[in-house]
Amino acid sequence: MKQAPLVWLLAPAVIVLAIFFGAFFRFAADSFLHQIPGTAMMAGPASWGNYRAVLVSPLAQRVFVDTLRMSLEITLIAGLLGYPMAYLLARSPSRRVHTTILFVLTVTFFAGGITRAYAWMIILGNNGPINRALREWGFSSVPLINNETGVVISLIHFVIPFFVLTLFATIKNIPASLEEAARNLGGRRWQAFWRVTLPLSLPGLISALLLTFTITLSSFLFPLLLGGGRVQMVASLIYDKMQNSFDMPASAAMSLLFLILSLIPLSAISLVRSTLGRRFGGSRR
Amino acid sequence: MNGKPYGAGVPAAVTIASLFLVLPVIVIVYYAFNPTGLITFPPRALTWRWFVNFFTTPAFRAALINSLLIAAIVTPLTLAIAVPTAIALVRRTFRGRVALNGLILSPIVIPGVVSGVAFLNFFTWIGLAGGFWRIVVAMACFTLPYAVRALVSVLHGLDTALEEAARNLGGTAWRTFLSVTLPQLRPGLLAGAIFVFVECIDNFSIAVFLTDLRTSTLPVEAYGYIRDFDDPTIAALATVLIVQSLVLVFVMQRFIGMDRALGFRQ
Repeated sequence: MKQAPLVWLLAPAVIVLAIFFGAFFRFAADSFLHQIPGTAMMAGPASWGNYRAVLVSPLAQRVFVDTLRMSLEITLIAGLLGYPMAYLLARSPSRRVHTTILFVLTVTFFAGGITRAYAWMIILGNNGPINRALREWGFSSVPLINNETGVVISLIHFVIPFFVLTLFATIKNIPASLEEAARNLGGRRWQAFWRVTLPLSLPGLISALLLTFTITLSSFLFPLLLGGGRVQMVASLIYDKMQNSFDMPASAAMSLLFLILSLIPLSAISLVRSTLGRRFGGSRR
Repeated sequence: MNGKPYGAGVPAAVTIASLFLVLPVIVIVYYAFNPTGLITFPPRALTWRWFVNFFTTPAFRAALINSLLIAAIVTPLTLAIAVPTAIALVRRTFRGRVALNGLILSPIVIPGVVSGVAFLNFFTWIGLAGGFWRIVVAMACFTLPYAVRALVSVLHGLDTALEEAARNLGGTAWRTFLSVTLPQLRPGLLAGAIFVFVECIDNFSIAVFLTDLRTSTLPVEAYGYIRDFDDPTIAALATVLIVQSLVLVFVMQRFIGMDRALGFRQ
């Protein structure tokens, strides 16, 4: 039987990939050049200078460490808030509960980044509902934006849908009968959860946490808007560098170091999938 | 049996998390109809002023038109690229298939800022100057994985018997594709289109590097406005986007089913 030749099927995607990776090869090559002072032009000779400059810069070091620390905090809190959601979504017998949770998650998700970042600026701002209520009750207002608090709160909100929707499939695939068996054998509910469900959901949980961590790591709009210039994450640092100096080679070097850092958790995901997945079953998708 | 697998604590925790999730949506819609920049409760009056301001400000009108045009070009373009790709990935076996799949999905996991600066550098190098087409090309590359993923998930669930029957009855490959395969792909096409469309309208991290003085997009324009002004005009924009989100969720629920649209069930 005659089928369409494979080349035709793959040609469009190969063109897209050529543009995308072409851009990255050019980017990598340019990261070894340097900016001609006062212009947006680049010149050789090639050197590791830009990379060295990023690695020894106290500002860049601090921002990389801050970004890792904040991403870790955000991931853990999002995990604590999100796990029960994913669990109820998978286990609730009620169709209405199921639909409501999915509705809440998808509407917030599709409302987009700018909507949510701006909403948190209003809620947490000095004249926002929280601080005005505090003042009305005789307390002094608490600075909740233009600092890390605002960035962390808004980012937790941003990543929860990703976390829940990733974890949900795993919990759904764990047969509820296993928990039932544990309880019928005299285990309490929390024991059934702790000894059966949680370990079985581990591969999915770790994947969901790593995905959440990666998304947080690369967040950009939220530190920009809620950090008020006082909280830097790596993405906003790169943006500032481009805005202030238009130093493409230096920005390229910093971007590529950042890319390597952000790919570590994802490589860990595939490792987790192949090892834990084999041991526990659970999420083979 | 032993009753429910969870105690009352679980629904309570989920209720709190859900309220946390919807809180910003509710506050921002309320704020959009608020007459002043200060939120008052109960409302003293409601106003359409900020919506009028949003739709009559020339910069926002231009950005809105750009964003919609970009989404209107990128969405069908990306789907047209994604359909043959997904078919090759699911239906054919060839060397390097797994690697190709990984490469196609990779733009999702690269931080947006990194892709944004890399695209800016690339377009400057090849001499593509106009902001509009730079964003179209970049978004087509960036959104391809969303469309491929949605289509691959549907293709995996399709029975090939129908296609084989069509071919055995003498249909050409092209005829079979058009009248048998493509109609069955509809849920994947719709889900993919929604994800690509939303990403085109909402993307900030790539677009912010590619806009120029003549071409801006909604999120980039909104970001500039938030930095310079302190009034609820952006809340009006946010409300429009929330309504859009509700419509898309309704379409997904009605025509694909939420579980399938999100890739939980094939």
